[in-house]
Amino acid sequence: MKKRIALLLMICLFGVMSAGCAGREAYEIALVTDKGNVDDRSFNQGAWEGVVEFAGEQGISHKFYRPEASTDDAYFAAIELAIQGGAKVIVTPGYLFEVAVYYAQLAYPEVTFILLDGTPHTADYAIYETKENVAGVLYAEEEAGYLAGYAAVMDGMRCLGFVGGMAVPSVQAFGYGYLQGIEAAARELLLPADSVRVIYHYTGNFEENDTNKQSARAMYASGAEVIFACGGAAGKSVISAAVEEHKKVIGVDVDQRYDSSTVITSAMKGLSASVKEVLESVYDGTFSEYAGKATYFTAANHGIGLPTTVAAGDNGTAFDRFVHFTQEEYEAVFSRLADGTVDPVRTVSVADAGGIATAEELKAQLGLECVTVEVR
Amino acid sequence: MPEQNRIQKIRNHPGSASFLATILAIFSGLLLGFLIMLLAGPSAAGNGILVVLTGGIPVALNAAKQLGQIFYQAVPVLLTGLSVGFVFKLGLFNIGVAGQYTMGLFFAMYAAFSFPLPSGVHWVVCLLAGMLGGALWGTLTGLLKAWRGVNEVIAAIMLNYIGMYLVDMWVQGNTAMYEASRARTKYIPASAQLPSLGISGSNLNIGIFLAIGAAVLLWIVLNKTVFGYELRATGLNPDAAVYAGMNSRRNILVTMLIGGALAGLGGACTILAPAVIPGSSVTYEPINVIAQAGFHGIAAALLGGANPLGIIFSAIFISLIRRGGSAAALYGYRLEIIDIVIAVVIYCASFSLLIRELTEKIGQKRTGAGAERSEMTKKHRTRKESGMTDRGKKEGGDTAWIR
Amino acid sequence: MEEYVIEMRHITKRFPGVLANDDITLCLKKGEIHALLGENGAGKSTLMSVLFGLYQPEKGEIRKNGRTVKINNPNDANRLGIGMVHQHFKLVENFTVLENVMLGMESCRFGFLDRTEAEQRVRELSERYHLQVNPDALVEKISVGMQQRVEILKMLYRDNEILIFDEPTAVLAPQEIGELLQIMKGFAAEGKSILFITHKLGEIMAVADRCTVLCKGKYIGTVEIEKTTREELSRMMVGREVQLTVEKQEQSAGEEVLSVEKLTVAAKHGKKPAVHNVSFSVRSGEIVGIAGIEGNGQTELVYALTGLLPVAKGKLILRGKDITKASVRERSLAGISHIPEDRHRHGLVLDFSLAENMVLRRYREPEFAKYGFLKKDAMEEYANRLIARFDVRSGSGADTVVRSMSGGNQQKAVIAREVDREHTLLAAVQPTRGLDVGAIEFVQRELVECREKGNAVLLVSLELEEILNVSDRILVMYEGEIVGEFDPKKTTAQELGYYMAGAKQTGGTAKEQTGKKQENKSLEASGKEEG
Repeated sequence: MKKRIALLLMICLFGVMSAGCAGREAYEIALVTDKGNVDDRSFNQGAWEGVVEFAGEQGISHKFYRPEASTDDAYFAAIELAIQGGAKVIVTPGYLFEVAVYYAQLAYPEVTFILLDGTPHTADYAIYETKENVAGVLYAEEEAGYLAGYAAVMDGMRCLGFVGGMAVPSVQAFGYGYLQGIEAAARELLLPADSVRVIYHYTGNFEENDTNKQSARAMYASGAEVIFACGGAAGKSVISAAVEEHKKVIGVDVDQRYDSSTVITSAMKGLSASVKEVLESVYDGTFSEYAGKATYFTAANHGIGLPTTVAAGDNGTAFDRFVHFTQEEYEAVFSRLADGTVDPVRTVSVADAGGIATAEELKAQLGLECVTVEVR
Repeated sequence: MPEQNRIQKIRNHPGSASFLATILAIFSGLLLGFLIMLLAGPSAAGNGILVVLTGGIPVALNAAKQLGQIFYQAVPVLLTGLSVGFVFKLGLFNIGVAGQYTMGLFFAMYAAFSFPLPSGVHWVVCLLAGMLGGALWGTLTGLLKAWRGVNEVIAAIMLNYIGMYLVDMWVQGNTAMYEASRARTKYIPASAQLPSLGISGSNLNIGIFLAIGAAVLLWIVLNKTVFGYELRATGLNPDAAVYAGMNSRRNILVTMLIGGALAGLGGACTILAPAVIPGSSVTYEPINVIAQAGFHGIAAALLGGANPLGIIFSAIFISLIRRGGSAAALYGYRLEIIDIVIAVVIYCASFSLLIRELTEKIGQKRTGAGAERSEMTKKHRTRKESGMTDRGKKEGGDTAWIR
Repeated sequence: MEEYVIEMRHITKRFPGVLANDDITLCLKKGEIHALLGENGAGKSTLMSVLFGLYQPEKGEIRKNGRTVKINNPNDANRLGIGMVHQHFKLVENFTVLENVMLGMESCRFGFLDRTEAEQRVRELSERYHLQVNPDALVEKISVGMQQRVEILKMLYRDNEILIFDEPTAVLAPQEIGELLQIMKGFAAEGKSILFITHKLGEIMAVADRCTVLCKGKYIGTVEIEKTTREELSRMMVGREVQLTVEKQEQSAGEEVLSVEKLTVAAKHGKKPAVHNVSFSVRSGEIVGIAGIEGNGQTELVYALTGLLPVAKGKLILRGKDITKASVRERSLAGISHIPEDRHRHGLVLDFSLAENMVLRRYREPEFAKYGFLKKDAMEEYANRLIARFDVRSGSGADTVVRSMSGGNQQKAVIAREVDREHTLLAAVQPTRGLDVGAIEFVQRELVECREKGNAVLLVSLELEEILNVSDRILVMYEGEIVGEFDPKKTTAQELGYYMAGAKQTGGTAKEQTGKKQENKSLEASGKEEG
């Protein structure tokens, strides 16, 4: 009896199966997410938008893959799965892919990789090498930070905060640019020396937690009108502090306008633009421009900026949360960055092993006169 | 004649009935899974389910490696499954296996980062540490059950959360262990990683032998030893166990200790697995999520009928369809759909007991061949019914949901 | 032919390894009480299960009122007016009597249970047949006898005309048995037909009109009760002459083995202790019988003695050693054997094999275990020895799963295990409950043999006949206290009955009032006890 039922089930199964049989499609452009999905309002989403835009225009098949875990092996396995699925170009958004891409570029030399915000290296950091089939994409965070600081001061703020995650190069660069932008705006407004105050803080992690929220609240309590939240998920802690204190936030990486009404603007990396640009070069034969090295995307090639457009269905403008600062003023300062008139410093030599600069180091090396810095 | 007897014996053996039922359960699960895939993406559903069923081996770039990965990923499922199955023999439901697994994982990791030992010794110590961690966590549930009468399910669910948050807190607070910029642990030292079995591209390591060895050992303990005898007696009839003079508190404690140690070993084997990428390792992310391996273990125990040898196969099967599910992404199925399909297959598979009864009922309608089975069903049913009157009064009637 | 309401003709039913029913014919007349007699495992229950639709026979047919019918399941049986009271009741404990009776036949109004109509019917039926059941009582709160009446009510509620009683008296106290037999007579007088499974000859002689005897699955014959005797029935059933009384040697008791001093055991519910200030002793070479109506503390007394319940006050001394606080295992090692009252709950692990059950109390002994491993061969050998010696019948010997064995053989297994192991005191609680005459004879002889070997035996039984037959000394328990001590040769069942009902106490402090109360109670039984 049982056997008969089993047989019947099997027949059903294979019967329906043959009805639903179709060949495997190959997907030429693939994106592997670092964690979660392509709707994370962050790196995955930004990069995926670039892929969709380009592949949609060109009619190229594309697909994203999600790794099963966030270990190097799992990233590597997801890359292999994408290759198995016919991928010729693979976009990997974020520095978490550095190790996996290092090995993937050696194992699959015929596949092209676009690694955002990172440089391929071995697990022990002994070798940094970007092969000819890899385009490293880095962003001039100092320029994005510069724009954010400039806009805030031009908008009338005189006490500003900076909350970084860990003092890693990209976060440091955001902060240095931010200070330089503040200084530039203050000078332009002819403010007296030491008239703008900046409270500067690294949380030491990229997490959303109560400690981070409390330090942001303390910062607001001691006068900060806005905080440039530059620490991954720590930004969420800053936003919830801002909501409670009725203060403002400047977002980072992507347009965080829709995360909270406290976000007045965001120091964006042009993820989708840069992805699209590199993909174009792959298909028009000019990939050698990017191949085998890291390319900085700057204001000059629209690799960074503040948001200038809003999502469909939003009746506001990208600048409607500023009191004084306008799009014209923004475009003026942006063009100065783009044409090289202004070139903010990206690095500061820091004595601390953890990369946390002292107020003196910042003031001296960034040439701050109108700005006083308080490092917490 | 003796030949015929043997066949008859095999046919009548309860094991073969449950095996058939299991196969049937798996089939119905696959059918349902297939229907879900049909809804999600009709054109490729046939191939998709085939890939799931074959573990993705036929479409793999490297079949040996894919096979290796199937066995590699079966290790934690097998060990947690053994934990659940073993504890179940005592009549307790070890839903705390996830917490024990996480504790084991942490203890192993702690030993890996904190004790600089020579390779060859280091990983052994780490494994033992993992077992210790799991055992501690399991024993805690056992203590609550044995001395305070706390229902082990409630206690274990709480301890799952407590364990997970504790581990995440400890990991984040330990700079030797935690790499904050990547929000995960640092690479495990090579000396603490388990010896690989050398299949290139695969993480397969000696853990699989440890796990299968543990299964065989458990089978021996259960069926050949005095302790196993007590365990089974207690699980089948706690009152008779008391009457026979068995020390139920001690047995609960020892069983939970062993169950916890198995789950902890599962956690240790997970985190200590050698990496494919040289110089790297498996890493742990403290993201406040209860370990999935625990739930896969429960499924494996159910599917394997709580029999250690059965769990070997069910764990490999679960790993197989998980690998297969991952490969089904090639047919355009998103990970979420695959997760649903796998869950459905496992869920249905766990119903094998129900299906067994159902088929017996159909068989019973016919005279002759069905009769002997109907006898079995009847026994089963009267047991349940008499449970209402005979044994309803006694506490701890929580033993009857699987045998 | 047409006078039969039910005819079961040439029924054959086979289980793996057993021919449970071999060409059995049984015809039931309208309005008769038809007894079905046979040893344990003779196939009585199987035959009734076939009639009730639980099993399908391989051969044979069933006719109702001369028409062939097919009974596939209990629902079919029900439609044909066949009802059954099972040995183990099928009741939902935390439902009320009414809810249990309605279960499966609920009348609904707008989706809500319509109780009023059902309740009225239940009350009516209860009154008409003198069942005295309170429909609102919770089943778990009423006595076993009352629960059985709920089962009977279920049949009546469904207008069943053919009533099957599967060993209904096995669970009842003496008074309750009498009442049940009266109820059954009442049914027969109303024209209902009754099939009455039992192996108590006295009951058959008292109520049955005819009796069909089965032996080892075979049909032996059907006899008119008026034209037969107990002796003939037992010969038909067992296939040989049976000794209905135990013969034992005169023997004087030796040294004191067990001394119980002012023992008090707390009750599970309520403030009144289950056993209160009880003192007695058992000496080697004597059988002390404890008589009493069920629920008067005998169970708790033995539990406290064997370690299953804690002692609240008092002392237990076994051969000069204080065992008041000893664990079950320590007591067992000190020499206490225990034939428990409920073999399913305590005595056996039903899903274990016979061999595994046979060593349930001895598995740690070097004979069966070495270095923590069980010696399977030794276990099997031992089991086979006991099986042979005690004639335990099973499908496949030592490997048989005990659950598949008949109740009598399960009990034999328990007795074999407890009697065979070295012991100085045997606490036997209702050791012959549910056994047939042949088996009873066997068990009682074993008890006597234990005594003759110089062991002490404490026998707790609800059967007065057994107590009188086997004991050297009789203690009567009433409401947790020992109310009298008797010499079986100088007392009668009548006298013991008075003491058991609390009407008398030795020492002249007879509590007439309590006695009456108790009598009322047993009459109305616990139908109104639910508070």
